[in-house]
Amino acid sequence: MSSGVLHHRPLHARDEATARVGMLLFLGSWAMMFAGLFFALGVVRWRSPSWAPEDVGQLPTRWAALNTVLLIGSSLALQLALRAVRNARLARMLSSLRAAFLLGVAFLASQAFLFARMAALGVRWETGTFGGAVFGLCGFHALHAAVGLVGIGGVTRAAGRGTIQPARHLRLQLWTQYWHFVGVVWLILFAAVFAGASGA
Amino acid sequence: MRLTVLAVGPLGIGLPLDASKEGWRIDEMINVTSLFVGVIFAIMIVWMGWSILRHGPKHRADFDHGERRSSWIWTVATAGLIFVVVDGDLLVRTLVSVNRIYWNFDWAERQPDAVRLEINAHQWAWQVRYAGPDGAFNTPDDVVTLNEVVLPKDAPALFQIASTDVIHSFNVPNMRMKVDAVPGTINRMWFTPALLGDYEIGCAQHCGANHYKMQGVLHVVDPAQFRDWLAAASANSLQGYDAQDNSAHWGWSWAENTRMK
Amino acid sequence: MIAEDQLDREALEALQPIHHQPDTFFSKYIWSLDHKVIAKQYLWAGLIFFLVGGTLAMLIRWQWAYPGQPVPLLGKILFRDSGGVIGPAQYMQVFTMHGLIMIFFAVTPILIGAFGNFCIPLQIGARDMAFPWLNALSFWVFALALCLVIGSFFGDLGAAGAGWTTYPPLSTNVGTPGSGQTLMVAAIFVTGVSSIMGGINYVTTVIRLRAPGMTYLRMPLTVWGLFLTAVLNVLFVPVLGSAALLLFLDRVFGTQFYLAGAATQGGGDPILFQHLFWIFGHPEVYILILPAWGIVSDLVAWFSRKPANWYKGSVLSMVAVTALSAVVYGHHMFMTGVNPMLGQGFMILTLIISIPAELLFLNWLRTIWKGSIRLTTPMLFALGMVFVFGLGGLTGLYLGAVAPDFYLHDTMFVVGHFHFTMAAASVMASFAGIYFWFPKMFGRTTSELWGKTHFWFTLLGFLVVFGGQLLAGYSGQHRRLYDPFAYQYVQPLRALNRYTSWAAFALFFGQLAFVWNFFHSLIRGPKAEANPWHVGTLEWSIPSPPPVHNFDHLPIVRRGPHELSDPRVHARLGRDWIGQAEVLPDERDVPATAPARG
Repeated sequence: MSSGVLHHRPLHARDEATARVGMLLFLGSWAMMFAGLFFALGVVRWRSPSWAPEDVGQLPTRWAALNTVLLIGSSLALQLALRAVRNARLARMLSSLRAAFLLGVAFLASQAFLFARMAALGVRWETGTFGGAVFGLCGFHALHAAVGLVGIGGVTRAAGRGTIQPARHLRLQLWTQYWHFVGVVWLILFAAVFAGASGA
Repeated sequence: MRLTVLAVGPLGIGLPLDASKEGWRIDEMINVTSLFVGVIFAIMIVWMGWSILRHGPKHRADFDHGERRSSWIWTVATAGLIFVVVDGDLLVRTLVSVNRIYWNFDWAERQPDAVRLEINAHQWAWQVRYAGPDGAFNTPDDVVTLNEVVLPKDAPALFQIASTDVIHSFNVPNMRMKVDAVPGTINRMWFTPALLGDYEIGCAQHCGANHYKMQGVLHVVDPAQFRDWLAAASANSLQGYDAQDNSAHWGWSWAENTRMK
Repeated sequence: MIAEDQLDREALEALQPIHHQPDTFFSKYIWSLDHKVIAKQYLWAGLIFFLVGGTLAMLIRWQWAYPGQPVPLLGKILFRDSGGVIGPAQYMQVFTMHGLIMIFFAVTPILIGAFGNFCIPLQIGARDMAFPWLNALSFWVFALALCLVIGSFFGDLGAAGAGWTTYPPLSTNVGTPGSGQTLMVAAIFVTGVSSIMGGINYVTTVIRLRAPGMTYLRMPLTVWGLFLTAVLNVLFVPVLGSAALLLFLDRVFGTQFYLAGAATQGGGDPILFQHLFWIFGHPEVYILILPAWGIVSDLVAWFSRKPANWYKGSVLSMVAVTALSAVVYGHHMFMTGVNPMLGQGFMILTLIISIPAELLFLNWLRTIWKGSIRLTTPMLFALGMVFVFGLGGLTGLYLGAVAPDFYLHDTMFVVGHFHFTMAAASVMASFAGIYFWFPKMFGRTTSELWGKTHFWFTLLGFLVVFGGQLLAGYSGQHRRLYDPFAYQYVQPLRALNRYTSWAAFALFFGQLAFVWNFFHSLIRGPKAEANPWHVGTLEWSIPSPPPVHNFDHLPIVRRGPHELSDPRVHARLGRDWIGQAEVLPDERDVPATAPARG
């Protein structure tokens, strides 16, 4: 153990360590929540004789795949912004942040379109468990994405005003962690809900 | 209906009459465990009482953290002993009885004199179906009763249980057996009645406002009486059969549900 | 060891700066960032809902003692349309709300919200929680949940009525329509959010804000219990959230996660809920008992005037129980048609998890042995907790094995078991804690006479009422029955039920001793000194009540929390206790093991 002398790291660095522990626990709790939801999804999908009820028609799986690309792209952009600020490239950070934000907005808009397409095909909340998975679980995820987007928007604005610095960018780091989490959850949702789902 | 349960102790405390062939194992487990529990509890009371009376404010406290191996090893050993003896006894008895008897449906299915029943649980009644002479369920000669089960003494009774609405639980305390009725699945249970008489059937899972009234009666009769009853009831069913009444044809194929989950 | 002057005190203090004191009513009492105020907010809320939950219990006991008869006093108000008589539909709302309120809105805020908030920062030598703002928010989110609970009572078809376990399909619109049930599902979700927030705060605080020298193995066991509870909260309350969310979607949006189609088609699965619920539900019972274990482990040491026996073993036991808590959940589902291999696996794990609990129990017994026991009110309640938990824990044996469970499942024996372990033990520990920390919280002392009166009413009340439940269940009486005596074989148990109910009424009215003591002491009790109990944990080294910033100077910890009856201390200081941060006359150095790494 150390000698007990506590002055090695600056004050705000210790606060940051505390915030990181908190963030880890927070993400851990959300991971458990989605673990429960995925368990439920797995059970209901396994029990269905046909995933996506038989009379639904051609599912917009390609749209869902496009959404996945948009969200992954947004995460990448955000990670690039984080890398940029650590390398003191503030201009690049700002442009990456803006890209991440725009891609995130595009994801949400595209999700809305996906839901509309599903509804047009006759899928409702109560259309077996498939409908619940689409509107309930993907909708719940979309709410989380919206919160993340608000966060990223706030960070982008702060970056524009110059308050995100190489030495002080905890806020960017935490939102990046959150956003990656949103992305990973979507990947699993996409696989569990859309992949291999036929409706014809 | 003759009151069948004779609670033995004061204030009515005591296990209900065990009218089954296999239930005694459960009673034995409960009683043996109670013996161990009683001993442990008595030791605990004596220990605490002695400490409070003899190690009170006038006693000089012993500055011992209990961190030496020679000290905590006794704690571990005691917990280990209790586990091996008490838990171990319970564990072995349960594993044996559950695998050889209570969940051993294969054996029960193979008994030539086994009686099979399908139970459909509703809010708030039990529909009971017998296959009738043709041996197949959901056919015109099925005997269907409401809240009434008739069984012959000494023959294993096999149940497949379904529910139409919420979760119920088919419970026969005098046979020491119950199983949940879950919508979307068919659950199984079995027991062998050993004593003639009338016994109560109840619901053991909260199922709504009239959960407390979801009662039935089990008549255990001589095998000859059972055959006569089944034949007469089946003849009645044939006469009263209505092909249009779909809701009455709730039975299902027995064989499909005989494989363990 | 390093010399004390080498320790960078300035840096240490700068980590937890003293903020200016709040000065408006709003910032002092409503939106307070002070963990001690938030603790009291939780305490008040918990005590009020404990009264509500207790009243509901009295209604149940009335119905079983005098079935179909009008309830005195309350009947005219609560059951106007039926002339004061509880009907079957209302009865199921009574027992549902009793369970939900007691678990989530009484024991949780008192044991975890109040003691967690009050004790953790003080006992680890910190000025506040890691995230004070989040802390305040967690209380008000909890308060929102309370509003939903109250709303449920005014639901269009009455309050929630599907049992506290809320099993679908009964808890869906199919079984229990109406806004009352929906509001409770929402209330559970919202209080879950509050618990998770609190859990994140407690865990982070214990990891990050321990004073120098406060190693993990020098923390009071109270903090260990609360810390592990918080870990379980963070991990498993979200699973309840997922179960509740899906139920909410089924009720409000018409999804079918829990509704099965015809027997052989797909669709939802009611048992899915049970899995999710019990993966939360079993850790939840440990969530409710771990703080109690911690508090009692400390109290029996302090009031035996000797160190807690095998502290490390107690910590290991609590950690082991925490780690195993989720893998035993299947013992709640033995009768659901579970796969036999799975069922037996759960049984084996359930029996194994009793081992660490036994170790903890034996440590309590060995702590009081050869002690110098002072039967103060907190100690009486602590010993009472040991007693009721021992009894309750032993009854768990019968239920953890599959075979006895064929008979005992859903009987009052189960109810007796969990009331002894979850209700009696947690409540005894809660009262122990309230009496113990009352001087520190409120700066006044309570009456020992009223405290002891309260203790005897409570202990004897619990023993007779919950013992009565065990005996009734053993004799075959089932739970959640509006009229148990509709079953002929239960009719001989009428007298037992009536006597049990009388004991319950006595238990309930005996709590008046607590109410009187609490309020009278609050207003007129003698002022409390800093350390009336003469123990060494850090909260007793500052005034009663403490200033907003807790410690004028952050303490440097030198020893464990139960260093009592040390002959060296007696020789040098003439007393049997020494503070955790106290310096013995010939000790100048600071221990090298400081937790706060740079």
